[in-house]
Amino acid sequence: MALLRNSLTYVWLFLVVTTLVSWWLGAGRSVMGGEAPVLALDFTVTVGIILIAVVKTRFVIWHFMEVRHGPAWLRWICDSWLVFLAVTVVALYQYNS
Amino acid sequence: MIPQETAEAMLNGSEAARGQEIQFRSRYPGQSAMWFFVIGDLWIFTCYFACYMFDRGQNPEAFLRGQQTLSQGIGAFNTILLLTSSLLVAFCVQAVRAGAIAQAKRWLLLGGGCGVAFLLIKAAEWYIKISAGLPAGADDFFVYYFMFTGLHFLHVSLGLVILTLVFRELKTVKPPQTAFVESGATYWHMVDLLWIIIFALLYLMR
Repeated sequence: MALLRNSLTYVWLFLVVTTLVSWWLGAGRSVMGGEAPVLALDFTVTVGIILIAVVKTRFVIWHFMEVRHGPAWLRWICDSWLVFLAVTVVALYQYNS
Repeated sequence: MIPQETAEAMLNGSEAARGQEIQFRSRYPGQSAMWFFVIGDLWIFTCYFACYMFDRGQNPEAFLRGQQTLSQGIGAFNTILLLTSSLLVAFCVQAVRAGAIAQAKRWLLLGGGCGVAFLLIKAAEWYIKISAGLPAGADDFFVYYFMFTGLHFLHVSLGLVILTLVFRELKTVKPPQTAFVESGATYWHMVDLLWIIIFALLYLMR
């Protein structure tokens, strides 16, 4: 199968698995059909979910958008944007709570 | 024109072939105007995300009450739908580079189909939310919920218009302009990555 020889298929598989992991982190036992937990502030879970989202975003930019083969300035813009986003979101979360 | 040998290897998607091809082009995919737009859009969304995080921090319990009523399962399903759509559109770009236009059209149709399914599910989600009545005391959360999902809905819709133009290019122009197809794909992947962040911030974080 040509699809199995294509590295993008594995990128997609990684993205799907990390989506399921972050869903499990965010929704807890209810993923498995258990009772939905009452959502409460949770720094560790939140940072984990944000980190997973940032890694997924990096994979989309790098592999699907092919920035990994792009010029240095584009790679730099994309990576600094991602770092800025992650730091801003976590800092604002932490600052208020 | 890409040499025939490279093109054939690219269709198989092997890593070495991708390296050859990039050496051949040695630049970013698509047109610079699209990248300018995409990067600008990402920064605008970053400002919205910062506003959301700030307001959420002012009253996190109210935001969590709103979040509690969302279906994380639907959010996760929609995320996987868009990821799959991105993959199919990336396959389309590879096929165009390899000159396999008929195959490229099939990938594009499947990718666009996932995009349409995303919109239908999103609309159903809104309908269920609104007809069930929004919970009291979570107004701020729902202002952001409808703003983010609404803006994103518009982005997906524009993305589908762009994919339609790409399809027309593949159908009518021989050979189609690769840069045009790549630009459309770049926009579509941006729509995907914005949803990844929206899903994390609106549906999942505590």
